[in-house]
Amino acid sequence: MTDWWETSPGWLSRTRHALEQEGIPDFVDDEDGTMRRIVDIIVFYKEYFVLGSCIIISILLLASNENRQIRSIRSMTVASLGVLQDAFGFIPNYFDLREENNILREQNLKISDELSRLREASMENARLRGLLDLKARTSYAYRSANVVGKNLQLLRNTITLDVGEDDGIAADMPVVSHDGLVGRVVTTSSGYAIVQTLFHKDMRVSAKVQRSRTDGILVWDGSSTLMLKGVARTLDVRDGDQIVTSEYSSIFPPGIAIGVVSKTFEMPGDLFLTIHIQPGADLLRLEQVFVIVHTPDTNRIALEQRAAR
Amino acid sequence: MKVVAVYILLTAFFFLIHLSVIPFLAVIHIAPDVLLIWLVYIAIRRGQVVATAGGFIIGLILDLSGGGNGMIGLAALAKSVSGFVAGYFFNENRMFQILGGYQFVAAVGLTALVHNGLYFLIFLQGTEIGWSGALLSYAMPASMYTALLALLPMFVFSRKFSL
Repeated sequence: MTDWWETSPGWLSRTRHALEQEGIPDFVDDEDGTMRRIVDIIVFYKEYFVLGSCIIISILLLASNENRQIRSIRSMTVASLGVLQDAFGFIPNYFDLREENNILREQNLKISDELSRLREASMENARLRGLLDLKARTSYAYRSANVVGKNLQLLRNTITLDVGEDDGIAADMPVVSHDGLVGRVVTTSSGYAIVQTLFHKDMRVSAKVQRSRTDGILVWDGSSTLMLKGVARTLDVRDGDQIVTSEYSSIFPPGIAIGVVSKTFEMPGDLFLTIHIQPGADLLRLEQVFVIVHTPDTNRIALEQRAAR
Repeated sequence: MKVVAVYILLTAFFFLIHLSVIPFLAVIHIAPDVLLIWLVYIAIRRGQVVATAGGFIIGLILDLSGGGNGMIGLAALAKSVSGFVAGYFFNENRMFQILGGYQFVAAVGLTALVHNGLYFLIFLQGTEIGWSGALLSYAMPASMYTALLALLPMFVFSRKFSL
């Protein structure tokens, strides 16, 4: 019978000889001896395993910090990884192209229809605003970007975009897709940007129910949906209601679609409604997004801060 | 079990010294690292595995106590790696000669250089100070100061072990 190390890679054979020299008991040569061999290798290289484990835990702890130093290191890492991801981004997925084309055609049709209705509504809105002498809403510049990296397995879900400071992108700029709000830019390098998505434990968005104009704060508690917090149980919120960004946000322009109410219920003893929101943007399938070139209104923030004092 | 308890008590004692007395020994923000000297002692007496794990625990407690300048995980990382490096000085047959000789100071100096190099390289990220600046202005002076302080226990060990 051939011993396992005779057919194993060189380093394993060397390990076995080293173990023999160290006087560590022989490997179990039966068919189920794999686990024992792994344990033996771990014991033999215990110094490196202990060091490796300590380094991994320390790095995980470091990564959860929000210091300036860590942001700087993240920025450097993003820039390096972005170059790699960009380099391999030219490889198209031909199997998905046909399906994607069909979806795009269908979407195009719907958008054309919606556009024509919106033009009508916009003209009517302009006319009515003119009659009421209301201040016109600002229109924003959009910068298209490709998603070149995703980190969607943690409580701090982020995506990486192939646009950065050189393209006029800065921190706190909102990011949207054709389905709705995606998140906001948190870190930038010269050619890349990191976006904190709605599914991030630190994300807070001032939002409102489009139909009833009820305000709340959009948060994510780690589940598969978002939550609208701070809505009193007496207020009018129904399943299927559209949720949009509100005027109270200093980061997001008002009226950006976020998602729909998927479930509403009252918890016994709670003064507020429990509202689950299904976001429009599907982060898992996200490929192209738009960064809204919009910086917070410093004048407004300064005034609000002054008033708060 | 008794040995472990003694090590824990001594670690707690050195923590107290590190957090209360050592800041008064700082010269232009450069202070010696008494916990690192203790870690090198552990490495020489107990070997690489204990020193690496011990370094991680000491560093983590330091991080959590706020002595790691608010970057949780940084001291744990630097002290784990330095415990591992110090473990290379472990020699069962020459343990007491190493502790009571200049090899102990050399071990502390080298370990401190690795520790401070790694620590300041990460800690000074995002500042105007570059890597060479971090090494020359912070890592090297702090390592030399720590090595200098290691002379004290070296003389004590030398006398204790009658070398």
